[in-house]
Amino acid sequence: MQVYKAFFRIIQKNRSQIAIYLVVFMVLALLLTNAYTPPQDTDFTKTRFNIAFINEDGDSELVDGLKTYLGENANLVDLPDDPQQLQDALFFRQVVYILRVPKGFTAAMLNGQEVQLEKTIVPDSPSNIYMDLLINKYLNSAQTYFAYLPGLSQDQLVDYLKVDLAEETAVTVISGSSHSANAEKSGYYFNYISYSLFAILILGVCSVMLVFNDTDLKRRNLCSPIRSATMNFQMILGNLSFAVLTWLVLISASFVMYGSYMFTTNGLLLLLNSFIFTLAALSISYLIGNLVKSRGAMSAVANVFALGTSFLSGVFVPQELLGANVLTIASFTPTYWYVKANNEIANAVSFNAGNLQSIFTSMVLVLAFGVAVLGVTLVLIKQRRVEA
Amino acid sequence: MVINVKNLVKRYGDLIALDHFNLEVQEGEILGLLGPNGSGKTTAINCILSLLKYDKGTIEIFDQPMSPDAYDIKRDVGIVMQNVAVFEELTVYENIDYFCGLYIADRQTRKKRVAEAIDFVGLNDFIKFFPKKLSGGLLRRLNIACGIAHQPKLIILDEPTVAVDPQSRNNILEGIQKLNRQGATIIYTSHYMEEVEQIASRIAIMDKGKIIAMGTNEELKKKIKSGEHINLELLNPEDLDLEAIKALPHIISAELTDHQLVVKSGRDKNNLIAILDHLKDQNIAIGKIYSEPPTLNDVFLEITGKELRD
Ligand SMILES: Nc1ncnc2c1ncn2[C@@H]1O[C@H](COP(=O)(O)OP(=O)(O)OP(=O)(O)O)[C@@H](O)[C@H]1O
Ligand SMILES: [Mg+2]
Repeated sequence: MQVYKAFFRIIQKNRSQIAIYLVVFMVLALLLTNAYTPPQDTDFTKTRFNIAFINEDGDSELVDGLKTYLGENANLVDLPDDPQQLQDALFFRQVVYILRVPKGFTAAMLNGQEVQLEKTIVPDSPSNIYMDLLINKYLNSAQTYFAYLPGLSQDQLVDYLKVDLAEETAVTVISGSSHSANAEKSGYYFNYISYSLFAILILGVCSVMLVFNDTDLKRRNLCSPIRSATMNFQMILGNLSFAVLTWLVLISASFVMYGSYMFTTNGLLLLLNSFIFTLAALSISYLIGNLVKSRGAMSAVANVFALGTSFLSGVFVPQELLGANVLTIASFTPTYWYVKANNEIANAVSFNAGNLQSIFTSMVLVLAFGVAVLGVTLVLIKQRRVEA
Repeated sequence: MVINVKNLVKRYGDLIALDHFNLEVQEGEILGLLGPNGSGKTTAINCILSLLKYDKGTIEIFDQPMSPDAYDIKRDVGIVMQNVAVFEELTVYENIDYFCGLYIADRQTRKKRVAEAIDFVGLNDFIKFFPKKLSGGLLRRLNIACGIAHQPKLIILDEPTVAVDPQSRNNILEGIQKLNRQGATIIYTSHYMEEVEQIASRIAIMDKGKIIAMGTNEELKKKIKSGEHINLELLNPEDLDLEAIKALPHIISAELTDHQLVVKSGRDKNNLIAILDHLKDQNIAIGKIYSEPPTLNDVFLEITGKELRD
């Protein structure tokens, strides 16, 4: 294991440089991750908006049912029906949403006519979509019942709705709690890791390969009776050990930050995904290590490659915001598939055959990428054994 | 036969670095490969070791065809490259241990061999040093230790003593002779004829990718016309008639630089008396006089018409 030993002596000699990179990248990833705060409106359990409910339609069980339903999901604030006062309440954010039930609303509903509720809102507030969603859900459910159970009394209808919507709400609440800040943040952290991993692996692997591929040392090694297969094996083993160490250091931060979340299915899949990506990144680093000829080139390639693939693949900018052309190019890099799988894992509330298949397809693609590049590298090494 | 190279041709583009190069090395000899810069010594060695592709020819080591995968051959060959090839990241000890370990797996044996190699090159005080901290000569010695630690049957040394001081150079040359006495066959390339003359049991002289003369030191010198060099210090050289000296019988050349007159005479002819008489006639006073036997440079000069050293 002479080569393996020498590999680690070289890494050891470069340890301060690698350590600096590691620390800088981890701090960077942590900063970027924590600078990101998940939008409030995804957190259903915590947010209760203040709304005003103004009823011009008189007493009807349907309207009361709506009011009760909204009251379960938001704080109802009593306000006099005075335009000036309502305006002020909105302006001072006493309420963020004013719902007005117009006269004849119940009758119109019962007749199956199209009805409009009036709303006054604070522009651009995250509450708007949420409130619209709640109201639409109630009204759509009601209309569905009218359509399919025409003989239903208002009484029964409101009871049915209560049960239905309560159930749905329950589902929403569950998804809200597991789809927590940890999921979003860990997804981001693991995306950033791809950049750090790439940069550190390229730098580490290249530092070693530059030494072993130095013409004189390479010739000297080729004079020895060590088989090329043995040489490659020890070299790959060295690279692998180095990569796994780097990976362990980088993921250790995720355990500190996200704790038990890392042991959920989401967390474990993120770990698996990042490990597979580590292998692919290593394979690419090994190829680059066998191509670059100087330390200057090494730093340049590390930066360009790590940064470039990260930008293209949606590490810094979400994939949804990137153009189709960019994504097409990105899909030729493993980073793209890694980030895609990460996002799917982080966003998944529960795992089923559908989303698991998509996630594992990405992982397999990343792995295939790594294997293909390794194959190319080994052929290259073989061809270069004898100089022209 | 330890090495048998036949009709080796190696081209770099238009340049013919090796032009039907032939070499036979017998077991137990020290073959000195002597040639000026660029004559193709390193190229020949790299081809012999299968490090370079060549255009034509056959190469056998230990009577087996040599190839990049001839691991059994490689196991018994030691190589000291012209360019120092060691790891900057490893200490002197670790470097020798690394290279020795490529050949010898057994830890105990290896430890012993490494210690012997360190003794051999006299690096005992430097085993914890990194190569960057070594002087040029010490670095060369490390390079040698890395090449010979595994005690191979065939050792190829490509100009191993460049930049080594005369004292250590002598130690190294003696060491190489000792390795040879212990049974190793040695190929030693150099453009220092003194070194080659000192240790080689047989000498091959190379020029322009070809071996132009081969034999023992004495055999080579017998092949040429010129004999000893007579050096005379002239006190009034301005009165000298150089042409008259050259016209004397058996004189091959005569050259005057400053106060030094160097006359080369034919082999086995002693012209000293005739020259002295002639100078006396010309009224030239003479200081110191000494004569030298012919050198390999004369051999080279006579065959190629140019000096071995630039
Ligand atoms: N890689 C190369 N590409 C092109 N030409 C080369 C290459 N290597 C060597 N040469 C040429 O081949 C010739 C022989 O070179 P080589 O290094 O074998 O000489 P050498 O006898 O070892 O010289 P030295 O005493 O300086 O070490 C030289 O003319 C050199 O310029
Ligand atoms: Mg040379």
